[in-house]
Amino acid sequence: MKYQSQKVAYWFFATCMLLLALQIIYGFIMAFAHVGFDVLHPWIPFNVARATHTNLLIVWMLTGFMGAAYFIIPDECERPIYWPRLAYVQLIALVVVSVTAVIGFHFGWWEGRKFLEIPRPLDYLVVVDVLLFVANIGMTIWKAPKITTTSIVLFFGLLMAAVLYLPGMIPTDHQTHDSFWRWWVVHLWVEGVWELIMGGILAYLLIRLTGVDRELVEKWLYVIVGFTFLSGILGTGHHYYFIGTPSYWLWIGGIFSALEPLAFLGMAIYGLALAKKGGRNHPNRIALFWTVGCCVMAFVGAGLLGAAHTLPQVNLFTHGTLVTAMHAHMAFWGAYAMLILAIITYAMPILTGRKLFETASATFAFWATNIGMIAMTVAFGVAGVAQVYLERRAGMEFLDVQRELQVHFIGLILAATLFTSGVIAFIYNFIRYGWPVGDVEETPSSGAAVAAPAE
Amino acid sequence: MLSKSAARAFFLSGTLLFSAVFIWLTVDTFQRIPAQTNAGDLTESVVRGKHLWEENNCMGCHTLLGEGAYYAPELTRVYDRRGPAFIGQMLRDPEAVYPGQRRMVTYDFTDEQVADMVAFFEWIGRMDLNGFPPEPTIGIAAAAIAIPGGKRPEIFSQVCTACHSLGGVGGTIGPALDGVGDRFDRGYLMRWITDPQAVKPGTKMPQLGLTEEQRNEVVIFLSKQREAGL
Ligand code: HEM
Ligand code: HEM
Ligand SMILES: [Fe+2]
Repeated sequence: MKYQSQKVAYWFFATCMLLLALQIIYGFIMAFAHVGFDVLHPWIPFNVARATHTNLLIVWMLTGFMGAAYFIIPDECERPIYWPRLAYVQLIALVVVSVTAVIGFHFGWWEGRKFLEIPRPLDYLVVVDVLLFVANIGMTIWKAPKITTTSIVLFFGLLMAAVLYLPGMIPTDHQTHDSFWRWWVVHLWVEGVWELIMGGILAYLLIRLTGVDRELVEKWLYVIVGFTFLSGILGTGHHYYFIGTPSYWLWIGGIFSALEPLAFLGMAIYGLALAKKGGRNHPNRIALFWTVGCCVMAFVGAGLLGAAHTLPQVNLFTHGTLVTAMHAHMAFWGAYAMLILAIITYAMPILTGRKLFETASATFAFWATNIGMIAMTVAFGVAGVAQVYLERRAGMEFLDVQRELQVHFIGLILAATLFTSGVIAFIYNFIRYGWPVGDVEETPSSGAAVAAPAE
Repeated sequence: MLSKSAARAFFLSGTLLFSAVFIWLTVDTFQRIPAQTNAGDLTESVVRGKHLWEENNCMGCHTLLGEGAYYAPELTRVYDRRGPAFIGQMLRDPEAVYPGQRRMVTYDFTDEQVADMVAFFEWIGRMDLNGFPPEPTIGIAAAAIAIPGGKRPEIFSQVCTACHSLGGVGGTIGPALDGVGDRFDRGYLMRWITDPQAVKPGTKMPQLGLTEEQRNEVVIFLSKQREAGL
C-alpha cells in the first residue's frame, strides 16, 4: 500500500465480516419460521428478524463501500487520507449507531418501513456520519495531485447515496406518499447511485488486476453508468404501478426498467473482456474471480431476474410475493456483496503484507457461497412461482398456500447451509491474514513521490 | 471510436435529462394522488391507523399495496375480504382465530386503536391501484360454482372461509363444510357457532363474536348445505 492511513480500511472490512455473520443468523431465523419452527417468536418475532436481517445487510454494505473508498482513493489520487483519525471516529460512530438500531428493533424501536426501519433520531446520526465520511474522502480528492475518473465516479456515487437518504425521512400521513419517497431511497440507491459506486470499484479492480489501459476502462465506465441513469431513474416507475399513483407509470416504469439490465450487461461484458484481454498475470487470481464473478452474478441476479418481473403485466401477479425475495437475494449478492468481497480479497494481502493468494479455503469460499446462493435463488424462485399460481391465480387462502411452500423452505435451508459454509471459509481466511501490518511502498508507483508527504 | 469525453458527455447529459423528467413526473404524480386515493377521506382515525401500522412494523410480516414481507397475508383488500369483526378479533387475539397456525404478535390495542386500524384498511381498500390485487383467473375460485342455499352471506365469506372451505373455496384449517346440513340440525349449528367450547371442550375453533342476526343468517345458510343438493 502507498500510505499508512489506508490501513483504516482493514477495520471497516473486519466490521463487514462481523455484520455479515450476524445477518445470516437472522436469515436462518426467518427461514425456520417459514417452515413452522418459530420457537423464538416471543422474543424475536418475524418482523424483528427481518428488520435486523435487511438492516445489517445495508449497514455492512455501506461499511464495505466506505472501507473500499478509504483504500482506493489514496491509491488512485496519490495522497494519504486527509483526516486519518476522523476515519476511525467515523467507523466507531457508525458501528455504535447501527448496533443501537439493531438492539432497538428487538424492543420495538423502529419505523415499520421496509429497509428504512432505523428510527428517526438515529437517521440523523447516520446522515451526519456519512457526510463526515464524504467530506473526508472529498478533501482527500480535492487536495490530491491527481484526480482520476475512477475516483470521481466513486466519490459522486457515495455523495449521492448520502443525499438520497434524505427523501426517506420526509414525514407523511398518506401511505402512497410514504411509499413514493421510500423508493427514492431504496430504488435510486440499488438501481442508481450504488451502481456508480460499483462501477468505480470495479474499474479500480480491473485496472489493477488485469493491467488493461486506464483510458479504455474509464471510457467504458462512463458508458455503463450512463446507461444506469438513462434507464434507472425513470425505472423507479416499476415500484409505482400499484401504490395509488397514476397509471402512466405502468408505461414509463415498464419501458425504462426493462432497459436497466443493459448497464449490468455492460458490466458483465466489460469484466469478462478485460479479464481475457489483461495480459498481466496478477498473482491474486482469486480477487479476479470475485471481480468477474460479481459482474456476471449481478447481471443474472439484478439484470435477468429483475427483468423477469419488471413488466407490469407480470408484476401484477408477482408483486409482493416470494418471487421478489428470489430476485432480491441474487441481486444484492451478485452486485454488492460480491463487489465488497472482491475488494476485500484484493486489499487483504496488501493491508497485511501476507500473500495468501490462492489457498484452498479461499477457493472453497468462492464456490460454496456462489453455488449456495444460486440454489437459494432457485428455492425462493420455485416457492415464489408456486405462490403466484396458487394464491394469485387460483385464489387459495394465504396460509394454505404457505403450507404447500414449506418444502421449498427446507430446500432453502439446505442451500443456505452450503452458502454459510462458504462465508465461514471466507471469514476464516480473513482472520488468517492477521493484523494490518503491511509495508508502505517506498515510492508510489506512478512517480508522484514528491506529492506524498510522510505520515 | 467513441472518445472518453464523448462518453462523459453521454453520461452527464443523460443523467441531467432524465433527472429533470423524473422530477417533473413527481410533481405531476403528487397532484394526481389525491383523486386516485380518495385523499378527502383521510380522517384523523385513518392517519392514526397508518401510524400504528408503522410503529408496529406490520410490514415486517405482511404486505400492504404489495409492499412488505412474505410471511403473512397481503392486506390491501382485507377490509372487504374479512370485514371489521374479523380484523378486530385478529388484532386482539390472533392465536384464538388461527389456533396452531403460523403465529402473529398479540398486541394490546385499545378499542379506539382497533377502530383506527380498521379505518385505515377501509381507506386503503378503496384506492384505485391500477388493477392490483388481481382477481384469480384460473381454477376453482374463478369458476362460478353453484352452491345450494343461494348467495353466501357476506359474513360467511369473510369469516368462516378463513378456515373452512365450501365448494372447494376457502381455507383448510377447519373441515370442509360441504353437506354440513345433512350432519347437523339448526339448533346444534347455532349452539356451535355461538360457543364452540361449550359444545366440544378443547376444540380449536374460536368463538367468533358474531351478532345474533349474523348467526341466524349463517345457520340458515349452512342448514341448506346438503350433499344431495350438489
Ligand atoms: C443490484 C441491483 C438490484 C438490487 C440490489 C435489487 C434489489 C431489490 C429488492 C431488495 C427488491 C425488493 C424491494 C421491496 O419490495 O421493498 C427489489 C424489487 C424489484 N426489483 Fe430489484 N434490484 C436490483 C436491480 C433490479 C433491476 C435491474 C430490475 C429490472 C430490470 C429490478 C426489478 C425489480 C422489480 C420489478 C421489483 C419489484 C418487485 C415487486 O413488485 O415486489 N431490480 N429489487
Ligand atoms: C443463510 C443465508 C440467508 C437466509 C437463510 C436468508 C433468508 C431470508 C428470508 C427467509 C427472508 C424473508 C423473506 C420473507 O419476507 O418472507 C430474507 C429476506 C431478505 N434477505 Fe436473506 N437470507 C440469507 C442471506 C442473505 C444474503 C447473503 C443477502 C444479501 C446479499 C440477503 C438479502 C435479503 C434481502 C434483501 C431480503 C429482503 C427481500 C425482499 O424484501 O424481497 N439475505 N432472507
Ligand atoms: Fe427497483
